[in-house]
Amino acid sequence: MRLAEKVVPFYFGAPDKLLFGCYHEPTLERCRKCAVVVCQPMGHEYINSHRALRQLAARLCDAGFPVLRFDYYGCGDSSGSREDGTILQWLEDISTAISEVRSRTAVVQVCLIGLRLGGTLAMNAAAERADLESMVLWDPVLSGKGYLHGLLRLQKEMLRFRPKPSTTQQPQGYLDVLGFPLSRFLRAELEKIDLLPIAGSLAKNVLVIQSDQTAGEANLKERLSQTEARLEYQRFDAPQIWRPTSDGSLLVPSQILHSIVSWTNRVHP
Amino acid sequence: MREEAVLFGETKSLVGILTDPPMRNGNRAKPAVILLNPGIVHRVAPGRIYVRMARALAAMGFVVLRFDFSGIGDSAVRYDNLPFDKSAVKETQDAMRFLEAARGVSRFILLGGCSGARISLQTACCDPRVVCAFLINLQMTEDVDQNSITRSAAFYYWNFALFNLKSWCKLITGKADYRNILRALGFQARTQFASGGKMSAESIQLAANLRMLAERGASVTFLYAESDPRLNDLREAVGRELKQLRALGNVRVQIIPRSDHTFSSLHDQEKLLKEICELIDAVTPATAGAPLDQRHDQLPQSVQQTLPQHGGK
Repeated sequence: MRLAEKVVPFYFGAPDKLLFGCYHEPTLERCRKCAVVVCQPMGHEYINSHRALRQLAARLCDAGFPVLRFDYYGCGDSSGSREDGTILQWLEDISTAISEVRSRTAVVQVCLIGLRLGGTLAMNAAAERADLESMVLWDPVLSGKGYLHGLLRLQKEMLRFRPKPSTTQQPQGYLDVLGFPLSRFLRAELEKIDLLPIAGSLAKNVLVIQSDQTAGEANLKERLSQTEARLEYQRFDAPQIWRPTSDGSLLVPSQILHSIVSWTNRVHP
Repeated sequence: MREEAVLFGETKSLVGILTDPPMRNGNRAKPAVILLNPGIVHRVAPGRIYVRMARALAAMGFVVLRFDFSGIGDSAVRYDNLPFDKSAVKETQDAMRFLEAARGVSRFILLGGCSGARISLQTACCDPRVVCAFLINLQMTEDVDQNSITRSAAFYYWNFALFNLKSWCKLITGKADYRNILRALGFQARTQFASGGKMSAESIQLAANLRMLAERGASVTFLYAESDPRLNDLREAVGRELKQLRALGNVRVQIIPRSDHTFSSLHDQEKLLKEICELIDAVTPATAGAPLDQRHDQLPQSVQQTLPQHGGK
């Protein structure tokens, strides 16, 4: 499939906290009245899922949606160091990205798509704003404690076939999670994450994509069904693309991408 | 320091980030540094190491470009069916042309990890504008199926676990993964037997290329993580030749102790960053000045505190 897309890389936001973004611009005759903002995950999950989310953006753009993918402060190509990231800052970054895509496209309706921690942040941002048209939560992190536990287990697994770093080599004040520093502050913020009690309306339409067996999944479904949102829930037997693979390949779950694009098409005809 | 998002290449579809030193036109005599994708990972690289590298090198006065080859990261796919090794060399040359036009630089340092190392070497061989190449964990042969995992395991057992008391305790007390150990050791024996100590065609070519580059005056630095099995490949491929090549003065081999292929711990990344800053400083005499450790703004740690300016709106 040959996708006719125009990708514009650029920096935006406050001069002291500039964010890197890639704007996927659809052709004028196909442009829809809803823009999409992609909320990426964090750390190694961001690196591993970049390819899939870029593909998703290309497919949505081909369907006529203006799409903005962006890096949070201290992540990817954005300004700031890896140690600077906080949940509060990243929520602000999502707001900045929404404002940016609105001013670029002159489109008011916005759909947030978030993977893993990006889904969690998208849900928090949506609850604060209450002006979003639609939202896709792709394997969102439901419990911060469970998420941290998983990261630490993976870190241990990764150390299996390599010389173990001595305790003097451990960075001061940071936890090493697959080459990304996790500050005490961010760790404390992550530990507090619990998606279930989030109050307020999220978006008019919500799609939940689940490919990971997560505790609390049923609760999330119940919680979302209590909101005014039209909820669709889809389960896939697909690989967890955010996890490192044994051969270093980056996975693109075509079935999930196809499903997200068709749902977005249906919700925003 | 200033960071700018750029589009370049034949169809202006290659996405990159250009990092300028604080004094943008301060020293045109310095070569520009181009960072090439490590495998299929986009230009940020594992652990965001390319971003840190670009900022550290810019703080030392270099113009740095990190970009994505077509079909990787944010860059668009090519439709001309050119094989990756050819298109990647062509696109690296596009990057050089772009920097020549945009920043007036005419000499280049290429740096890449994994397949980026291979492309760095190939470009250096065919383009005299390349004065220096840093090849991080250069892969000599393609791994198939489960080979990369088995190779890593075999390399770990032979080079580290064998000398580790804890590993022996595990073996004796029945806590070791015996099946995995046998599989890894069998793999090691098979590959050593298969090579028969003969130089492969790739090895002969590599040695010839290194000789050619050394004669041209271009410097080549191999950087290997100590626990990367590809280090063995280099030893096997050009081990005998390496001594002679090193004597020519322009070929170096540096080993980052206790690191792995993707430098997946913070400590490894810090060591790699420091090593690269020092090596680039040493091989680019035009940059010579005060010793690196006296220029506190050039040290990797302090780069994190340097707030870059951005452009490309």
